[in-house]
Amino acid sequence: MFYPIAYVFAMAFFRTNRLGNLVEYIGTDNFETLFRTAEFWQVTLRSIIWTALAVAAKTLAGLGIALLLNIDFKGRKWARTLVIIPWASSVPISAMLWQWTYNNDFGLLNYTLRVTGLWDDPPIWLAYPRSAFFANLYVDIWIGIPFMVLVHLAGLQAIPQELYESAEVDGANPWQKFYYITLPLLKRIMLIATLLSVLWTFNDFNVIYILTKGGPAGSTDILITYIYKHAFEFLKFGTAAAMAVITFGILLTVSLIYAYFYFKEE
Amino acid sequence: MNRKGLRKILLYVFVTGILLILLFPFFVMVSTALKSVDEVYTSPPYWIPRHIRLQNFKEIWDKYPLFHYFLNSFLIAAGSTLLNTVLSVPAAYAISRLRFFGRRFLLYLFLVVQMFSPIIVIISLFKVIAGLGLLDTRLSLILVNTVFTLAFSIWMLNGYFSTIPIELEEAALIDGCTRWKTITKIMLPIAMPGVVTTVIYTFIASWNEFMFALKFITSLEKRPLTIGLYNFIGRWTVQWQYLMTASLLALIPVVILFMLIEKQLVKGLTGGALKG
Repeated sequence: MFYPIAYVFAMAFFRTNRLGNLVEYIGTDNFETLFRTAEFWQVTLRSIIWTALAVAAKTLAGLGIALLLNIDFKGRKWARTLVIIPWASSVPISAMLWQWTYNNDFGLLNYTLRVTGLWDDPPIWLAYPRSAFFANLYVDIWIGIPFMVLVHLAGLQAIPQELYESAEVDGANPWQKFYYITLPLLKRIMLIATLLSVLWTFNDFNVIYILTKGGPAGSTDILITYIYKHAFEFLKFGTAAAMAVITFGILLTVSLIYAYFYFKEE
Repeated sequence: MNRKGLRKILLYVFVTGILLILLFPFFVMVSTALKSVDEVYTSPPYWIPRHIRLQNFKEIWDKYPLFHYFLNSFLIAAGSTLLNTVLSVPAAYAISRLRFFGRRFLLYLFLVVQMFSPIIVIISLFKVIAGLGLLDTRLSLILVNTVFTLAFSIWMLNGYFSTIPIELEEAALIDGCTRWKTITKIMLPIAMPGVVTTVIYTFIASWNEFMFALKFITSLEKRPLTIGLYNFIGRWTVQWQYLMTASLLALIPVVILFMLIEKQLVKGLTGGALKG
């Protein structure tokens, strides 16, 4: 597994031919070219915003739904199973499904919005930069929610019931129980789930590439789709590798900050 | 009406609302799967097909080796899940309980793998798989899926094991339990919700893996379902009704697995274990 990663690093510092073989050592030229490109900075910034919004939304929704599905009620097993469904298809298929749902002529989303009067004049989602960005974002969040529900649900099971019982004896209200018992004891699992989610969301290639290919006019590109275009469409493997190394740098930094908080828990 | 009844109604309203929003595309899937081509391409569209067309299921089953695809996907997903569990449970246990040098570094190392998207490493990974002589084998996918899912399993289980009070284990050790017995009789039952989570995660990830299967598998009879589904996506047109029908079928194993092990996702045995 570490050979492929090492190879990516090597490519970032070499001139490569069209097959991706190393030709000549060129130091940091690939990086310098990138730093002079305005588009690279836009894409990087967009990746960060994309990740922050998506992970925050997934986590909050996941935690909320997990708390709801942790309550014992009739039909809970079915509710839990149904919640898993957005996650149960492969991501390319889910993205295709959404592409079809977003379709302005044949898709059922805009049709339903119009018929129910929720939105008389919905946009052609994937056709404009802003709506396309949010349409992509929503799909990424939608796919990610079940994972968050599952992880938080598992986390909730590890909290000893006695803590709630003794809190009740002390007259704690539900909000206090959540804030002083649930949240602190979920922290460790939450840190793991959100960290991995950051890594996956930052590198979420399939959703964007299938829905909009980064378009219209590059307006929904994030680093990973941008890298793919450079490598497999423009055949600039060196530049692509340099961006992969930068991605790695960003994610490593985030991970180290996270790990600091995680191990502080011990 | 009393407060308890009101709360219950609110709960059902909330859950139904959430499910309606989350399952919206799934309803689209069902609706499309039951339409004919003509009905699929009608604008404006409608939810309930005029003629419910169950033949779609029969047609794809007859025309494509779906059973083979299912079998391959199942072998790959089950193999990956098994391998992942066998590796991650002891690893996570060791990292959380034994204080050895470099344990944190090990955890980081697994994370590093997650920092590279499959599309970045796929070319050189292809060379590795070819070098090992594993191209066009299901084993290659089992190995790669395991590598890519191990990080979550180990971190998750490590987090879970660490929440279990060490006193529980010490008490068992004092009572004459062996290390192995404390793991199987005490730790695992308590950590069951965590283990179940990693099992579901690994199974779903492997069942749905697409990119590696596309590159590593060349022969028709070894293709998993995810690749099989791409039969319905042509260069210019997509056979939506067939794609949705097949995708619907592909959900079944995941749903069955989840329903089978869902009951483990309840309070473990920690309740009362440490009283007094």
